[in-house]
Amino acid sequence: MFNENLKAALAAVQKPGRYTGGEPGCVYKDKSDLDLRFAFCFPDTYEVGMSFLGMKILYEELNKNPHWWCERAFMPWVDMKAEMEKRNIPLYCLESKDPLSEFDIVGFTLQYELSYTNILAMLDMAGIPLRAADRDDTMPLVVAGGPCVCNAEPLAPFFDMMMLGEGEEQLPAVCELTVRAKKEGWSKKQLLRAMADIPGCYIPSLYEVNYNEDGTVKEILPLDGVPAVVTKAIIKDMNSQPLPTNFIVPMVGAVHDRAQIEVLRGCVRGCRFCQAGFLYRPMRERKAEMLNEAARDLCANTGYDEVSLTSLSTSDHSQLETLLDEMLEWTPEQHVNMALPSLRIDNFSESLIQKTTKVRKSGLTFAPEAGTQRLRDVINKNVTWEEIEKSCRTAFEGGYTGVKLYFMMGLPTETMEDIEGIAETAQKIVDLYYQNPDKPKGRGVQVTISVSCFVPKPHTPFQFCPQDTKEMLEEKQRHLVRSVKSKKITVRYHDSKTSFLEAVFAKGDRRLADALEEAYRRGCYFDGWDDQFKYDTWLEVFHDLGVDMAFYANRQIPTDEITPWDHLHYGVTKRYLISEYEKALSAKTTPPCNRHCAGCGANKLLGGACFEYDQSVVHQNG
Amino acid sequence: MNTIRAWFTKTGEASYISHLDLQRVMGRAMRRAKLPVWYSKGFNPHIYMTFALPLSLGQESLVESVDFRSEEENLDFEAMAKALSDALPRGIEVKKMYFADTDAAKIASAKYQVRIAGDWTSAMEKYNALPEAIIEKKTKRGSKPLNLKEQIPQIESWVRDGETCFALTLPAGSSGLNLNPSLLLQYLEQQYGLPAAQAHILRVAIYTEDGGKFLG
Repeated sequence: MFNENLKAALAAVQKPGRYTGGEPGCVYKDKSDLDLRFAFCFPDTYEVGMSFLGMKILYEELNKNPHWWCERAFMPWVDMKAEMEKRNIPLYCLESKDPLSEFDIVGFTLQYELSYTNILAMLDMAGIPLRAADRDDTMPLVVAGGPCVCNAEPLAPFFDMMMLGEGEEQLPAVCELTVRAKKEGWSKKQLLRAMADIPGCYIPSLYEVNYNEDGTVKEILPLDGVPAVVTKAIIKDMNSQPLPTNFIVPMVGAVHDRAQIEVLRGCVRGCRFCQAGFLYRPMRERKAEMLNEAARDLCANTGYDEVSLTSLSTSDHSQLETLLDEMLEWTPEQHVNMALPSLRIDNFSESLIQKTTKVRKSGLTFAPEAGTQRLRDVINKNVTWEEIEKSCRTAFEGGYTGVKLYFMMGLPTETMEDIEGIAETAQKIVDLYYQNPDKPKGRGVQVTISVSCFVPKPHTPFQFCPQDTKEMLEEKQRHLVRSVKSKKITVRYHDSKTSFLEAVFAKGDRRLADALEEAYRRGCYFDGWDDQFKYDTWLEVFHDLGVDMAFYANRQIPTDEITPWDHLHYGVTKRYLISEYEKALSAKTTPPCNRHCAGCGANKLLGGACFEYDQSVVHQNG
Repeated sequence: MNTIRAWFTKTGEASYISHLDLQRVMGRAMRRAKLPVWYSKGFNPHIYMTFALPLSLGQESLVESVDFRSEEENLDFEAMAKALSDALPRGIEVKKMYFADTDAAKIASAKYQVRIAGDWTSAMEKYNALPEAIIEKKTKRGSKPLNLKEQIPQIESWVRDGETCFALTLPAGSSGLNLNPSLLLQYLEQQYGLPAAQAHILRVAIYTEDGGKFLG
C-alpha cells in the first residue's frame, strides 16, 4: 500500500520518516506463509513508541515464529491524521502498510492514562468499531497489555481482552490459541472464554460490575466460570529470558535512541507512591555475564554508540560493579558510551561515578521526591539528607556542575513546610557546590528542581488517598516559586490539569468509558501533549454526561471499599497495601525487600522466597 | 589516511529520511558493517563523514555519496560496499566504494528526472513561451526574486503511462546558485495548478565544472 495516495500524504506532513517503516532491524515476511498477523500498536507518536523497550522485546519474541508476523503502528501526529482522513487512508502497520483491520490481533500497550483517547483514535482511523460489542467475528481481536491494564476499567468496553503482567510467555500463548481458533473455526466468544484460562488474561466482558447508590462498586461478578480474581503473568527466572539483541533502529530520532539492557525487573524499594514498584514485584535480576554479552551483541547489531542499563533501580543490582568492569573492557574501543539511569542516591559510589564517566560525561539526576525527612519517610523514599549531601559532593568532586532533582507535590500528609523543604534542599546543594575547593574555575552550579503533581495510583498504598485539588496544587506551586531565593536554582513544574485527568482515569471505573468516547468525538486526543490538551472540552464532557470527576480523583477511599480493580491481582495483597498506608500516615518506613521481607505476598508468584537473605544483613538493618 | 567515497542510491521509503537523520543512519550502518572508519579525536570522538550534495526530503536519487576516512591501507571495497548496503535501511543501496577522487567543491550541476500524474504538456508549452518566470527563492537572508527562465529556458516534456515526464539539469554545489527542482514545480503549481506535491523527483547525475560525472 506504499502507493501514490500515501506518498502524497507524506509529502504534506512534518517528519514523514515516522510513517514509512523500513528502518534497519525491521522484520518483513511473506504474507502467504503466515498463520497469524499481530499489529503492535503504541498509542503515542513514533518517537515516544520507538523508545519503549517492551515493544522491542515482544516484537523480537513474536517474530521468532516464522509463521507469525508482528508489525508496528503508532499514533500519527495531528497533521498526518488529517492527511490520512482527507485521503481515506486507513491506519496501517509500518512494515506491510496493510490496514489494522486486516490483522488477526490488534494489541495496544497501555503506558499512560492520557493516551487512552489515542487508542480510540487509532481504532477509528483503522475503521474498527470502538466497542467490543460492536465488532463481529470478522474483526481483529483488540487486546491490551502494559502497566495501565492494572486498572484499565475505563477502557473495558473497548477491549476484547487485557493482559496482566509480563508478556514474554503470555503473548505467545495468546497467539498460539488464536491460531488454533482460526484453524478450528471457533467463534470469538469461544476463543475469549478459552483465553481466560491463560495466566493473566482478563476478559472484561466476562465480569459484571454492579454499583451502590453512592456510586461505589458493590460487586464484581465473574461470568461463565472465569476466575474471580485474575493474577498477573510473571517470568519467574529472568535468566531464562534472552534479551532482545536486534532492535529496530529508528531513523527519525526517538526520545530514547540507544541500546537498552534490562538488568533487572521489579524493585526492592517499596516507595509508596510508585505504581511500577508494586506492579512488577518481586525484584528479579539477570546475571552480569548474560547482560554483558547481550550489550555487546546489541551494540554490534544496531550500531548504537550508547548503551543504557535500564531498570527501576539499576544500582540495586547485586553485580553492578562487576558488570560495569566487564563492559569497560570493550566499550571504549568500540566508542560506546554507558548510561545509568535510575541511580539511587544512597548507594551512588565514587567508583560508580568513575566508571560511568570514563567514556562521556552527562548530567546527573537524583529523585529525593520530597523536601523533608518526615515526608520522605511517609512515602518510604528511604533517603536521608546526609546521603543526598554525600552523593552531590561526590558528583561535584567528580567534575559535575549540574544536578537535576525530581520532586513531587501533593503527597499525602504534605504541608507548606514540606514545600519549603524542596527549596531548602536545592539551596543546600548550591551551597555545597561552593564549599568544594576544587570546583572548576569560572563555572557556576545549576540546580534544577523538577516538580510533578502526585497522582494516587491503583495497587499502591496511596490508592486510598485523594489527590490534592487543582487549586491546592497551584497554591503549592506558587509557594515553591516564592521559597526559591537563588538564581542558581531553576524550578520546573508540571501542569496540574493533566495530572487531575490522569488521576480520574487512573482510579476510574467502567462508567468513564462513555466520557472517554465522547471526549474523543469532540476532538480530544494526544491529551498527554500540552499543546494538544483540551482541558475545557474535557470539563464540558464530564459536565454534560453528569459524571463527577472529583469522585474519582479527590475522594478518600475507605480501606474496606471494593475498588474497581479489586479483581485484578499483581501479587501484593490488599491487606499489605492497607498496612503500608497506615504506616505511611505515622511516617514509619519499611526497609527494602532484599534486606528484610515485609510480607507483601508477591513471593507467592515465584512459589518461594524472593531472595536468599543474608542473615548478617537482616540483623544489621533490623 | 585515506578518504573513501561510498556511492549510494536513496529511493522508495528511504527518500523520507531527512539529511540530518541520514547522517545518524549512515554512522550507525558503518558501525554495524564494521567498516574500518577513522574517528575524530577529542572528548567526543565521532566518525568523520561528509555528504556531497544534500537531497531534499521526499526526492529520490541514484547518485548520493558519502566520504569517510580510514587509516587502513588494504581495503576490500567490494566487501565493504556489500556490508554497508546490508546494514543500511531498505531503499539505500551502496553501488560502489572507492578512494575519493573528484573534489566535491567542483560540483557544478545536477540532473533530475521528473514525473507527474496527468497530461501537463500544454502547461509546459505555456511555460516555454514565457519571456520570464519570476519566483521568490528563499535564502538564508530572507527571499529574493529569481527568473527561472535564465536557468530553465525550455522544458521538453512527454507523456508516458499517464504521466508527464521531463528532465532538468540545474546548477548545484557548495558555491554559487543552487536550484532545487521543487522551485520550478512550485512555479508550475502557482501558474497552472500542477500538483507539485505529487511529483516524483529523481536525481540521476551530478556533474563537475568540466562537465564530467562526479561519481563513478
